[in-house]
Amino acid sequence: MNHRLRTVAIVARIALVLLAGSIGDSLRALTAAETKTTVPSRGGDASDELVETFRQRNGSIFEGWKKPQALIVLTGELDGYIEPCGCTGKENQKGGLSRRKNFLQAVQAAGWPLLAVDLGGQVRRFGRQSEVKFQSIADGLRSMGYGAVGFGSGDLRLPAEELVAAVAAVGDQPTPFVSANVGLLGLDAKITPRLRIVEIGGLRIGITSVLAEQETAQIRNDAVEVIPALKALESVAAELTKANCDHQILLCFGSPEETKAISLAYPQFDIVATAGGADEPPAQLGTLPKAHLVELGHKGMFAVAIGFFADPAAVMRSQRVPLDARWGESSDMIQLLGNYQSQLESLGLTGLGIVPLRHPSGRRFAGSAACADCHKQAFDIWKETPHASALTTLEEQVPRRDGDPECLSCHVVGWAPQRFEPFEGGFAGTLTTPHLAHQGCENCHGPAASHAAVERGDVRASVIERDRLRNELVVSIDTPAGKLKATNNCLECHDLDNSPAFDFDTYWPQVEHSKSQQSEPQAGP
Amino acid sequence: MTLRTPSVWTVAAFALLVGAILGSGTAMLESLARPFRIGDFAPGAIGLKDGPLPAVNASDIVHDFGSVGVGATGFHEFVVGNSGIAPLVLTRGATSCTCTVSDFEASEGGSPGRTKTVEPGSSTKIKVQWRGKGVGGPFRQQATILTNDPRRPEIAFMVEGIVVPTWKAFPESIVLSKLSTGTSTEATVKIFTFGAEPPVVTTTSLQDTQALQFFSLLSSPLDPADIGSEPGATGGILLTLKVQPGLPIGPIKQVIQIVLRIPEEVTIELPLEGSVSGDLALAGSAWDSSRQVLALGTVSSRMGLNTQLFLTAKGPHREAVRPIVREVVPPSLEILVGEAKPVGSGAVVRIPLTITIPPGSPTANHLGSPQAPAGRIVLETGLPESPTLTILVCVAIGP
Repeated sequence: MNHRLRTVAIVARIALVLLAGSIGDSLRALTAAETKTTVPSRGGDASDELVETFRQRNGSIFEGWKKPQALIVLTGELDGYIEPCGCTGKENQKGGLSRRKNFLQAVQAAGWPLLAVDLGGQVRRFGRQSEVKFQSIADGLRSMGYGAVGFGSGDLRLPAEELVAAVAAVGDQPTPFVSANVGLLGLDAKITPRLRIVEIGGLRIGITSVLAEQETAQIRNDAVEVIPALKALESVAAELTKANCDHQILLCFGSPEETKAISLAYPQFDIVATAGGADEPPAQLGTLPKAHLVELGHKGMFAVAIGFFADPAAVMRSQRVPLDARWGESSDMIQLLGNYQSQLESLGLTGLGIVPLRHPSGRRFAGSAACADCHKQAFDIWKETPHASALTTLEEQVPRRDGDPECLSCHVVGWAPQRFEPFEGGFAGTLTTPHLAHQGCENCHGPAASHAAVERGDVRASVIERDRLRNELVVSIDTPAGKLKATNNCLECHDLDNSPAFDFDTYWPQVEHSKSQQSEPQAGP
Repeated sequence: MTLRTPSVWTVAAFALLVGAILGSGTAMLESLARPFRIGDFAPGAIGLKDGPLPAVNASDIVHDFGSVGVGATGFHEFVVGNSGIAPLVLTRGATSCTCTVSDFEASEGGSPGRTKTVEPGSSTKIKVQWRGKGVGGPFRQQATILTNDPRRPEIAFMVEGIVVPTWKAFPESIVLSKLSTGTSTEATVKIFTFGAEPPVVTTTSLQDTQALQFFSLLSSPLDPADIGSEPGATGGILLTLKVQPGLPIGPIKQVIQIVLRIPEEVTIELPLEGSVSGDLALAGSAWDSSRQVLALGTVSSRMGLNTQLFLTAKGPHREAVRPIVREVVPPSLEILVGEAKPVGSGAVVRIPLTITIPPGSPTANHLGSPQAPAGRIVLETGLPESPTLTILVCVAIGP
């Protein structure tokens, strides 16, 4: 046979084997596809061990789900918790923009068509820090590709110029914020649209948001126009109806009762999200006569996912998604948090409009080292507790938090923990007041500068005065009233938000130093 | 002897057969070798372990405590049964809050432990205890039980209800956002009480003695209709705050203290926050309030730029504000002053300023450095106290 023909024949046979192999591989892939469904179950760099721990602790998600035609993810009521924080350890708490981003990315990585919407309520407090935080959160929501974001009452208390800067469209990138009845600088300024229509997975979804009446009563901002929700929805609902949407979502920032009333008036919305409600969302969606009611819980700890399917036997499924440590941390959001913390640090307390308060006792602070002169044993015990390195904890965070008043207030001496403000003479920075770093003696016992001055002999005082100053600083837990007073003091920092596991009888033995005082000699003249 | 080479079609058919067998075999081996994972479980598609199995049975997994007082304790027993043919092992899992604790029914002569075995056909009770924390409002918490039933490896029991406080303020704080120094204002707070007796106000005061002369507090009983608007409320107080004109520009930071007898004496502290600012303000996507500049950045001369800035005016002379452009640097900036319109009730007036850098504008550098000072837009305002307004503009127009 001709040599050339023989070569061609060999090459052709090899090619056929390769073709057959690839057909076989396709068959393998088809087989695998029928037994495997990729679901978003973890994110970022979370380890297998971490994922399994939190799956056991907070439950599995998307169990038995096939790929939906479209997935709507609802979030809201972040309440300023741009990240979870507290002394039980970040890993043990839920929420934060970082995990939220990773969850959304996991959904997209699984190939599920995604629409993210937010009810609103990014911040709860008023002041410059909240303004900076709102801008940071708005930037974060934009970067996550949110399709619609509503307004909460806490958001709308901020100055309108700050809201406009954070919310307005930038160049040709439209704003994700939308509201039927709230207009920054007036509804006719059209800084935000009144509705949005999104095509996703072949479905057409119409979305709008409203601020309910009771929430409107909470804001006093003359530069923000709010009209009654029911009136505003007349025109918006008509426009959504004309658009022939497959589904319509109403984001109602109001109590569940108000939301239900609005939903009954506008039954065209088949998914209705509400504010208020309990701290966690229910396991299943609530039901209204013609709609599913979505509660989101508080502090952004959860997202609620609603999947739409082409299967007529199972058109819709829902899943509450705990934003726990299984989602890992997002480097983008860590960067955003870093920028936020940098802004706080640059502004400083003065730039943040923080003015020291007068301490109710009228006294000033001495610093824990001043106590060590006489109360050495108690001081040595304190030094071994986490209280003695509380500020270091903030410095070692990535990004660091030692410029954040909302963190500082419980990690240094001389601040009002629940007001996030210093008292006069309280910690003002490690350069000027290093002796007031960490969670020190005077946060429980009271400002002791006068007492220390008398005991050192710097100031002359009568025996009566000396004893009065000593007695003022004594904290006794030997009586029910004393224990309650001490417990309430602990709860100023170990509150439900930051220390949900706190129990006085469990925590006290870890810092107990009262017995040491009986064996310490009384110093002074 | 002549070696017969098979035909091309024979080779193709053989290769196809081998490829298909290899491919399917690989798939089968993969699925058997891959560990079982929650999250990609397809019911019926993956083989479960052989042998008898337990079957956990818990239909009622949500309990509503209804209304509970702050600090009150409630408990509920959930029943879990085993309708399978193998022992069901239950393990206490996590709770979403330490206010919620789960415990198993003690075995006879024994004590509750972390695990419990339920024989086929039997059931056990799981006691979930909850303690009211916080200041009031709806709550919902979860206690998880893990099982060895592979079809239902965990059950999340939920307790919910409403914590009824002894008092509740609506709103919880007063925020006066960007008050004008020249105007007075008023704000009200409704304080609802839930006890058997109507509340009696002992004292009202402001904690910070600074600027006291501008604030006054009045209290009166709430109307029955208002009391009825709050579920469970039996009484209430209407607190009215009046603010006089003349507050200095700057932040407002106050605490309103109300001492009530309900009948026990409670001290309620309501934050009063806000700010007092000048009567003119600027708002827009390019407005940087930290630096107080219009940050237009680097603009291509070929493309140009068009952006909108809003001038807002409040206070007694707001209607008189009619901006006129007096100076613009760089001169290529074009400013179009729009029509003044009231916002909402009219306490604030909004004037749009459209700022354009036309395509073809000459290059310029006004980025705000010592070598390239910021540009500016100088407006004549018509406002007696602030007759001119200078808006700094940071922009560089490049080729």
